[in-house]
Amino acid sequence: MDERLEKALKIGNLMITLNDQKRLLKERFLENLIYYKNGSQFNINKEMLTFVNMLLSQGHETDVVLIDDNSIPVKIEDLSEFYENILDLYFSASNDYLLKYNELKKQRTVERMIDCNE
Amino acid sequence: MSNKGVLLFARNNSTIDYVKQAVFLANRIKKYLNVPTSIVTDSINYLNDNFDISVFDQIIPVEYENSMNNRRYSDGALHNMVLNFKNDMRSKAFSLSPYDETIVMDTDYIVSNDLLKNCFNSYNDLQLYKQSEDLASYRDTYEFKYVSDSSIDFYWATVVFFRKTPTNKIFFELIDHISENWTHYRSVYQIDPLLFRNDYAFSIAIHIMNGFADSGFVGELPGKMLYTTDQDLIIDLKNDKMKFLVQKEKHLGEYTALSTNGQSIHVMNKFSLGRIINEAL
Repeated sequence: MDERLEKALKIGNLMITLNDQKRLLKERFLENLIYYKNGSQFNINKEMLTFVNMLLSQGHETDVVLIDDNSIPVKIEDLSEFYENILDLYFSASNDYLLKYNELKKQRTVERMIDCNE
Repeated sequence: MSNKGVLLFARNNSTIDYVKQAVFLANRIKKYLNVPTSIVTDSINYLNDNFDISVFDQIIPVEYENSMNNRRYSDGALHNMVLNFKNDMRSKAFSLSPYDETIVMDTDYIVSNDLLKNCFNSYNDLQLYKQSEDLASYRDTYEFKYVSDSSIDFYWATVVFFRKTPTNKIFFELIDHISENWTHYRSVYQIDPLLFRNDYAFSIAIHIMNGFADSGFVGELPGKMLYTTDQDLIIDLKNDKMKFLVQKEKHLGEYTALSTNGQSIHVMNKFSLGRIINEAL
């Protein structure tokens, strides 16, 4: 095989693994962003963080009704505490994502890529 | 009666050792979910003679019988076998479960985090996975979105959470009825494969219980159902880390590597999983 083609095919394999690993890291990040409160499930995202922050800035701090991922309304007694918790969760998950992502993109072989996910 | 726990069905065929998978999974359930596991099996003597049964809360015996269902089991892209597929007891989970709150799980679902613990605290009395993600990004996933081209949403029966409510009793009895009248329901819902699959039966039952519409009869389990098909191989498993060889697009028998960390995965290649469990047990 032409050496130029062989090198390109090797990079191609590397890119498949890299993209799959990136996708799985993102899935893990999304799993880490699931928050449970009073039997309800919330996927914490930018919209949720901004919405809760807006409610707080408007002075709504107690007995606020939010709609969870399964469209079930739930009364949040202390919205400040809820906000602190989801913000903590967001920072924890996103920092973990950043660390793992940076580690992954430094790798230059398939073996190292799948080993670095530890 | 314990309040909550996991129920596994393990009925071996001539080649696949579901009992071994169940023992392996029960240990992981204890580690990650910290709830008791009960097993429903037709191989009591084999289980007692070969494994540490203390990992199980209860052992529930059922009669040994072969199923009418046969299916092709692949071990990667280049090897497959047609074997007996005993998947017709899932609808009995409601009556067989010793728990008020139960997670029924396939034995090839490798639990690697505590995410499923949360469903015990959820308002929803019935939860399944609807969203899923194939570890191979290129594969067509349409068959796991809808049960057929012109039909209804697909739900996974791989992991099911339920509480023993009167409504859920009706739901499981309906699945039993669908199973018994599979030819009819297969025709009504325009499902091509002849093989009875619990995923289809659960999806049809959800559609009926929803009033033949898309409404809120079931809740979704946290996260997504991550899976690899039987065209892929699992090559390493240490604690919550797994390594896979995923079949390469349009290159039969060639694979690309990838790994997961802290993610629960449905591993459909039973042969490959069996080899990994042999190393681990």
